[in-house]
Amino acid sequence: MKKLRFAIAGLTACSGCQLSLLNCEAELPHLLEAVEFHFFPMACSPAILEGEYDATLVEGCLSMPHEQQLLIALRQSSRYLIAVGSCAAWGGVAALKNGEDRQLLRQQVYGSSRIASETFAPQPLHAAVTVDAVISGCPPEKEELLKLIAGLLRGTVPIPISYPVCNECRMRENLCLLTERSMLCLGLLTLGGCDARCPSLGVPCEGCRGPAPETNLGEALEIYLQKGYETGIVCERLRHFCPEWKP
Amino acid sequence: MSGTGRIDILTRVEGHGSVELVREGERVVDAFFKLHESPRLFEALLVGRRFDEVPEIACRICSICSTVHKVAALQAVEQALSIRISRQTGLLRQLAVQGGQIESHALNIFCLALPDYLGVGGFPGLANAAPEELQLGLRIKALGNLIQETIGGRAIHPFNLLVGGLGTVPKPEQLQHLADQLAAIREDLETLIRFVSALPESLPALPTPHVCAVSGGSPLFGDRLITATGTIVSADSAASWLNEQIEPHTHAKVSRFDGEKVFMVGPLARLNLAMPEEDAEQLRGAPVSSSLLARTVELKQAAERAGSLISQLLSDGLHQESPVAISPSTGAGTALIEAPRGVLLHSYRFDKQGVCSNANIITPTSINQAAIETSLKALVTAMDGADYDQVKTSCERLVRCFDPCISCAVH
Repeated sequence: MKKLRFAIAGLTACSGCQLSLLNCEAELPHLLEAVEFHFFPMACSPAILEGEYDATLVEGCLSMPHEQQLLIALRQSSRYLIAVGSCAAWGGVAALKNGEDRQLLRQQVYGSSRIASETFAPQPLHAAVTVDAVISGCPPEKEELLKLIAGLLRGTVPIPISYPVCNECRMRENLCLLTERSMLCLGLLTLGGCDARCPSLGVPCEGCRGPAPETNLGEALEIYLQKGYETGIVCERLRHFCPEWKP
Repeated sequence: MSGTGRIDILTRVEGHGSVELVREGERVVDAFFKLHESPRLFEALLVGRRFDEVPEIACRICSICSTVHKVAALQAVEQALSIRISRQTGLLRQLAVQGGQIESHALNIFCLALPDYLGVGGFPGLANAAPEELQLGLRIKALGNLIQETIGGRAIHPFNLLVGGLGTVPKPEQLQHLADQLAAIREDLETLIRFVSALPESLPALPTPHVCAVSGGSPLFGDRLITATGTIVSADSAASWLNEQIEPHTHAKVSRFDGEKVFMVGPLARLNLAMPEEDAEQLRGAPVSSSLLARTVELKQAAERAGSLISQLLSDGLHQESPVAISPSTGAGTALIEAPRGVLLHSYRFDKQGVCSNANIITPTSINQAAIETSLKALVTAMDGADYDQVKTSCERLVRCFDPCISCAVH
């Protein structure tokens, strides 16, 4: 089988999605039998954008003009462009205060000093380009990345999941942190795929994977209210990772 | 050809940075280190957040260092709210931080730096040039991740570490499994140190800047900064001593010390301030280019320390305990800790509802910026007359010696 040409790029982010790929320690040597990394600045030198890519995985949100240029160049040269992680998918944690005046936020950190380049409020990739698939999560699960690459090797991308974390939590027969312990667990509304990682250790879901399309929103908000959580508080928490989330 | 040349995209480092080289004719006469990562403005994002949200958001600054960011943020929050954690929680956090040290150092040694010594472009090249070493490195790296995941629930952005305790305390058999794995790599680490010691060094021996590290606690933990010249700075005064300045050519704040002093933090600094006897001969006052060996020695230390933390935890007997109950209050707290790349500071202030009113985070790569730039300038002077491409390659290698983490630096 011909090896696939990959590009792996990081925009404004923590590099956690790229690190998740490098954390596939057991699989990496096998991966090299099927994939060639032609643009992967975090792990391979030199980083030169040239030729066509079978697939490009992009981590991070857009917050600088040159990131937009890079993303468009990658889109133009890639058969598949995949948004990896919640920053690329939704804007992520960096977009937490997109509703506020960015100049004031900058002043809080840099005072009146000007810093070198122009930046703007963090945006997800789909604000600038067409995205062929999305793997969300902060960070995404390694298995999801491997499944994605396996799909790409067969010329396709995995079918997106649409159910919430709650479904997976039920499958694991966990105690419900919301109904049994009155904790603000966002698993009812958050996209699954993590196998309910946090609630399985008794830690409420923080919504890092963004909103699930298949939820009973009205009922969910009603349960939160019964447990003492106003809709405003629930939405505010959900917006940690997906600032544009609106019920 | 005069003017400036650039290493536009520094590769095999975390984040976005560049090196600008000033040319006069065929000579390179000066060098500048620039971090152009986009600022996510974390200090501003954290203001207005409840005390329990702060560590959860702050650890997103960086993935490689997420465990140590989380622990630093937790410690600063707990100090501000006068929360006392159990001995067990303290030991488990130390173990998670040692796991992070193992993962980060293994990533740098095997994926980012080693390719420089073997003339390949990255880990895919190592798969041909040094397959055994790569396999070994990936095994060690995986173990660092397993330690972090066992304690923190996830290797990156560990959610199980909470204000006042843990969501779920790991089971004794999980820790025993880690102990067995650590024992299994003990000899590999010795082999690795011999392998790295024997690698030929092509960078000129550049002088080591002054060194600074955290002290006064368990390994990697503490309550003060110390320097080789005898300065001692308490946690409360550390931010003003580190004196971060905003400079136009870089998005990360730069620590400017008294006069012309430049301080380096990280593995070589830590070892020089607390040198194990068996490594003194090779590493005392060693040049910046010895950082690969320093990281390897620290990798072994971290594995030993993780092993002994597990022994302590198992002999104490692990017990499930809930995080301590917290009542929000006004307060301020500053935590110092050693991240893999050096001194890390998290400092927060909270109002009486426990809402963050001020945040300040100082990271090792921002402290190291001045040392990196000074070393780059020394390198181009030492290589005066050398071919431009050779200077460029050497500059990139030198930057990797500091293992910069640029997402951390700019945050």
